[in-house]
Amino acid sequence: MPDLTKPTLVWTLTWDADWVTAVAFLGSSRRVAAGNNLGGVLVWDLPEKPGGDPPKPLLKLDGHTNCVSKLACTPDGKTLLSSSYDHSVRLWDTAARATGEEKLVLNATAIADAERRKSNGAKVPPPIPATVGVVKTSQVFDGHKEWVTALELSRDGKTVLSGDDGGHVVLWDVAGKRVAKRWQVKGWVAALALSPDQKQACVGERVPLVFDSGRHAGLKLWNVATGEVAFDLSAEFKGQHLGAAAYSPDGKVLVVGRGGESEGTLTLVDPVAGKKGKALAPIHQYGATDLAFHPDGKHFASAGRDTVVRVWEDATGKLVSELGKPRGGQFKDWVHAVSWSADGAWLAAADMAGAVQVWHFAG
Amino acid sequence: MSPLCRAGEHLSRRAFLKGAAVTGGGLVLPNWGGLAHARSAAEAATKAKKRCILLWMNGGASQIDTFDMKPGRPTGGPFRPIQTKVTGLQVCEYLPKVAAVADKLAVIRSMKTHSPDHPDGIYHMHTCYKMSERTPHPELGAVIAKFNGDLGSDLPTFVRMGSCGNAGAGYLGPAHEPFSLGREGKLGAFTSPYLAADAEMKRAELFRFVEGEFAADHKAEPFDSHRTAKERAWRLLRAKAVFDISKEWPAARERYGDTDFGRGCLMARKLVEAGVPFVEVGHENYDSHADNFVCHKANMQHLDLAWPALLTDLADRGLLQDTLVVWMGEVGRTPQINNRAGRDHYIRAWTIVLSGGGIRGGQVYGATDADGKDVRDNPVSEGDLFATIYKALGINHRAKHLSGVRPVWLTPEGSQPITELLG
Repeated sequence: MPDLTKPTLVWTLTWDADWVTAVAFLGSSRRVAAGNNLGGVLVWDLPEKPGGDPPKPLLKLDGHTNCVSKLACTPDGKTLLSSSYDHSVRLWDTAARATGEEKLVLNATAIADAERRKSNGAKVPPPIPATVGVVKTSQVFDGHKEWVTALELSRDGKTVLSGDDGGHVVLWDVAGKRVAKRWQVKGWVAALALSPDQKQACVGERVPLVFDSGRHAGLKLWNVATGEVAFDLSAEFKGQHLGAAAYSPDGKVLVVGRGGESEGTLTLVDPVAGKKGKALAPIHQYGATDLAFHPDGKHFASAGRDTVVRVWEDATGKLVSELGKPRGGQFKDWVHAVSWSADGAWLAAADMAGAVQVWHFAG
Repeated sequence: MSPLCRAGEHLSRRAFLKGAAVTGGGLVLPNWGGLAHARSAAEAATKAKKRCILLWMNGGASQIDTFDMKPGRPTGGPFRPIQTKVTGLQVCEYLPKVAAVADKLAVIRSMKTHSPDHPDGIYHMHTCYKMSERTPHPELGAVIAKFNGDLGSDLPTFVRMGSCGNAGAGYLGPAHEPFSLGREGKLGAFTSPYLAADAEMKRAELFRFVEGEFAADHKAEPFDSHRTAKERAWRLLRAKAVFDISKEWPAARERYGDTDFGRGCLMARKLVEAGVPFVEVGHENYDSHADNFVCHKANMQHLDLAWPALLTDLADRGLLQDTLVVWMGEVGRTPQINNRAGRDHYIRAWTIVLSGGGIRGGQVYGATDADGKDVRDNPVSEGDLFATIYKALGINHRAKHLSGVRPVWLTPEGSQPITELLG
């Protein structure tokens, strides 16, 4: 078993074309995919063991035309799903062959910035070149008319729950892209999670106005079969926009994280009783962005706008380890998303600064 | 009587205004609730000259996310442009109804201004003078109230709702001070009488007598301002029905949007129709140093209903040709997106939109560079903007006043109306 108290940053996979906004391991393979703010998706093949130079990306998945908000992969590693502000969810066959090649400079933005500041003594870094195969073929789920902000895949990889800024929550199947259920919440969908038995959905909703009477924030647990509210926890989380949510694999614990630019408190919720539980400390200062349960079902990782990833024990709410440090000052780049490898020994984090951090937990 | 003010007469304007609202409470004229106000409002409307509605984007709206989009550029952000019926004018995808009335809009993409923060920017973009000047310059609304308003009307001549200007009437004096409504267009609680009509009448008569005695010995401006405000409040009560949009709202709600700003815009339409020469409606939530895109998306969904509905209503009622509608805030927002997913204040190149009375719609004036970082063509200053607004409203932008003994002009020296924008 990996020792979750001993994280080591083994590689920083540079890709600074824009913010890296989403990340996912592909099934039990060594592959990891990341999406960025421009709609790009790159895939890396990680070495078996830590050490050596950071690997270069192998593939570019070409299709989205706006920010990739979430990535998720089926447990068999065969299908990667990506949601985007271009109103679509794309399904990528991970075995698809590249139909072309593209040359990238993975640190092009850093080079351009340094060139601009050269007269002030900035040192221009050497380029990090990469040649990637380009995959253009994907299936499109077009059941949304707004930015798709949330995406959750069931444990068996057969069912998807996606949500958008129009407040639409859609339950659909991966195989046929058939919509099984659709409902609308009052605000925009900000956080989304599907219980392991697929009977309950957690939806954090918001209308991000500050002063206007139209502002709104809510947290509700929905009965997926009926599309009705099972528990409305909005009063317990009054005024809080929840930016992240995740159920434990046994369905007994739901964790929610306060998003936006706020005190990013993580809170445990009993989803069966619909009761708010313990608030965890420390908070993700400036807001939580993502939550992901470890395959052991006893731990989860959280990410936030404080550039830190934390690993927690869900039974006690105890902090197990902290990955990275706040970069100093206020609002220094976010970690947008986190993903565990299937064996639980690796964690990938989508870093707004233009990189994927790959952490290893020795066994 | 001593020509010098007594120490106790040195009241601040702020203290006086605060006091006026309190003192005005419960003082109601005898004909309260009668129909006389309707006649006076109609007369005011017929006498009115050109009017102006200022839609104030408090905090500063992002030009790149609304009217000066830079798709595909590093500064572009996640919004996508849509084409309007006006050649060369694309607007944000979240402004489709605005796009549909683009033939009414004159978009100035080349504002280059001088006050980068909120208090000074708000002052500057309401007066066209820097806040640091010692002269108390009047807001746009006060100037329009003076030149195009009817002081004999029961209605106020300068009305505002929500977060708006901060300069007031300045050297134009208390007669032109703004009358503030709640953000959603509600009248203050002081307009609700708490005594029976006959008791109110006796109370008002007694109060006027006491005030008259007091005025004989107290000539200082704050006291005069106090009395002026009270008189205006009493007169306003006669026209209170104009401020009630409850009958129109059910039919208008869907078009204007069920928001504070939507109600404010409907109220503005009703007030200018009744003869109020200047109404300012504040729209909040634009100061998006963090999460700029979700903030703007939420705001645009309100803006895209209320603003086009207002323009369409004004046009349908034959009022738009005499009503200038200005869309602006105190600053623009940086082309660069910061690491809070925000945009900060920016004054080197930003956008303001004019439409309606005196303006030739369906055009874009000025241009910025590829990333929106600087003005490429036809820079427009605060003074030029105000000169254009005043010209469109039939007001001499170089009209001279005295602030104490010092001559002052409505716009700074060298300010020129932009003739291309004028109809």
